[in-house]
Amino acid sequence: MVVQAVTGILNQVDGSSQFESKNTKVICSVTGPIEPKARQELPTRLALEVIVRPARGIPNTREKLIEDKLRAVLTPLIVSYKYPRQLCQITCQILEAGESEEEFSQRELSCCINAAFLALIDAGIALHSMVSSVCLCIAKDTDELVIDPGDDDLRVSRSVHTLALELVKGGSVIQNVLLLDSVGDFTEEQLFEILQNGEQSCVELTKELRRIISDKISEDIVRTHVA
Amino acid sequence: MAKDIQISASESKFILEALRQNYRLDGRSFDQFRNVDISFGKEYGDVTVVMGGTKVQCRISSSITHPYEDRPFEGLFLISTESSPMAGPQFENGNNTGDEEVLCARIIEKAVRRSGALDIEGLCIVAGSKCWAIRADVHFLDCDGGFIDASCIAVMTALLHYKKPDITVLGDRITVHPVDEREPVSLGILHIPICVTFSFFNPQDTEENIKGDSNAEIAIIDATLREELLRDGTLTVTLNKNREVVQVSKAGGLPMDALSLMENCHKAYTIAEKTTDQILEELKKDEKKRNKYAEILSSENNRES
Amino acid sequence: MSRLEIYSPEGLRLDGRRWNELRRFECSINTHAHAADGSSYLEQGNNKIITLVKGPQEPSNKSQVDTAKALLRVTVNLTKFSKSERSKSSHKNERRVLEMQTALVRTFNRNLMLHIYPRTLIDIEIHVLQQDGGIMGSLINGITLALIDAGIAMYDYISGVSVGLYDETPLLDTNTLEENAMSTVTLGVVGKSEKLSLLLVEDKIPLDRLESVLAIGIAGSHRIRDLMDKELRRRAEKRVASALAR
Repeated sequence: MVVQAVTGILNQVDGSSQFESKNTKVICSVTGPIEPKARQELPTRLALEVIVRPARGIPNTREKLIEDKLRAVLTPLIVSYKYPRQLCQITCQILEAGESEEEFSQRELSCCINAAFLALIDAGIALHSMVSSVCLCIAKDTDELVIDPGDDDLRVSRSVHTLALELVKGGSVIQNVLLLDSVGDFTEEQLFEILQNGEQSCVELTKELRRIISDKISEDIVRTHVA
Repeated sequence: MAKDIQISASESKFILEALRQNYRLDGRSFDQFRNVDISFGKEYGDVTVVMGGTKVQCRISSSITHPYEDRPFEGLFLISTESSPMAGPQFENGNNTGDEEVLCARIIEKAVRRSGALDIEGLCIVAGSKCWAIRADVHFLDCDGGFIDASCIAVMTALLHYKKPDITVLGDRITVHPVDEREPVSLGILHIPICVTFSFFNPQDTEENIKGDSNAEIAIIDATLREELLRDGTLTVTLNKNREVVQVSKAGGLPMDALSLMENCHKAYTIAEKTTDQILEELKKDEKKRNKYAEILSSENNRES
Repeated sequence: MSRLEIYSPEGLRLDGRRWNELRRFECSINTHAHAADGSSYLEQGNNKIITLVKGPQEPSNKSQVDTAKALLRVTVNLTKFSKSERSKSSHKNERRVLEMQTALVRTFNRNLMLHIYPRTLIDIEIHVLQQDGGIMGSLINGITLALIDAGIAMYDYISGVSVGLYDETPLLDTNTLEENAMSTVTLGVVGKSEKLSLLLVEDKIPLDRLESVLAIGIAGSHRIRDLMDKELRRRAEKRVASALAR
């Protein structure tokens, strides 16, 4: 899985990232913790405002569904009790969908998750653990598992899946499955296969994300060595 | 635009005093436009414009629909400028009823759509039953002032860059040829409007501004966010290369002398001219990059003109 | 359909005016003495506009309070029957109307001494009974009159007018037919100065012609200012006379 990502690209927000994988490109911004509106406020926890905006057209039920899934993935990740009565705005703008938008949203969702994770780190919001997400599909004719499928692969798939895993201990230990979203025909064995293979690529992706973050930090911080 | 951003008294005093002494915080002169950086995405009609700390993306898409009943010979063209908190926490998601948002959307609409920059009659496929609908989605990614100017450049560049799939009409049957099958076709662009925004500051008291003859008001081009927050008035002039004023909007604010407003319009023209040339240049460069083999495949001879 | 002759070779316009003539301009103030603190009724050609000013008053909403100055609010009600063809929608919340309201607020924000009425709200309500082109200019004139009637302190009159450009001839104070046939410029001029508070151009106009259009527009606005001033003085004298008689 080849990804490209940069963080800290926007000036007016607290954290931002741009995540690119194949033809899908997402830019994500995080603002927070800030003062919420009265109706958003939660007395004991951090309130999340998750916004996903499509590359073209007005936000629709499709984007609302992506928002919902993204919120479900991010909520257990954030140490929300640290910020009572505060608000965190997470905005994902899809720049290039990289899939036919009428049929699929899996690539966009997994890229949004990864981008949001990087932007949250960039914003310095406290997190319990790490997350990484991949998209998988099973080809119609061959029943072959494709990891990180492109638009062409998705079009000829029997089922498509989005997997998001929670990782701890520097990305070496998988703690939880945060999201397994499957659409289409598939068997139990296939699902286990998906979990197994998805696990592997999630761990790899986490390594990559960690590298991106550590590169950025070492670039930003000037260390003075005392001889 | 940013209503809720608070600017400290000392900072505002500093910026205004600097302006009085002919200085701007970013070192520009008063009538200097920021450098415009235009980049293209993978697909046609995907343009990102960066002007200093302002970043705007525009994406063009097309579909085939019914034309309006009262305009059977025209296609549909829509520009959507929705704000999101990405450009700053002062923007509310999908809320377009704020003063600044309305003005911004209306000015872009007048500059591009009303002025007939896009040939909408050319979008008609079968009169009264089928036409192209072109949609321009403007995404504000980062905000450091000058949204109108940057959006207008982004929309125009994206319209010039976009290519819609080729079609064949046979009676009532329409065949849409996929992009990889047949060379897609460009849209008909009739002129290129460019917006230039001026911000006015009053270095004296209100009375001098209204009653006095000194005309000492300060006008700066392409204000940054800080300058926008402090300005007393604004003027947006839209022009094209044919020396046509497409739209002028000075919706209230600091009263300004008519002659100095005219002077501003002339200044805007030089900027519009330069920006138009830059847009065309960038488009040419991108076209070359995309069509590496066009020159080899072309049967055209080099002619001395 | 025959093409209308917007400007005849003899120099006459559709309604018989010359290029530099205003439409009939009649105004009166204090027309709705019980409904508002200040009011005006304005007829500029076939534009008929009622303007009501309420305030300075206590803001109904706490969030509207500005501790430093008064808050100005303008609502424009374009009635459904104001045009020759009855419109189906009440133009409320239309982007065009929202834009007009914002422009009007910003035009008068600078010209009123809002700082002497802190923590208050000045509410301006406009009802357009009939419209026939150059509406923005007429709205400005109506507001100026009503604000004066309400006794709200302001630096100077603001008068508005629209000017069209037909070929090379600027035509002062355009009506709907003229407005549909050519590009128009709307100006809001402060007092007898050459300062523009508002300048709107919505259609294409050659850059080099703009100056002559502005010149006639400013002259027209000054004339309107004088007409308004005359009416206000006449009204004031009448009041003084009736007070003395009592």
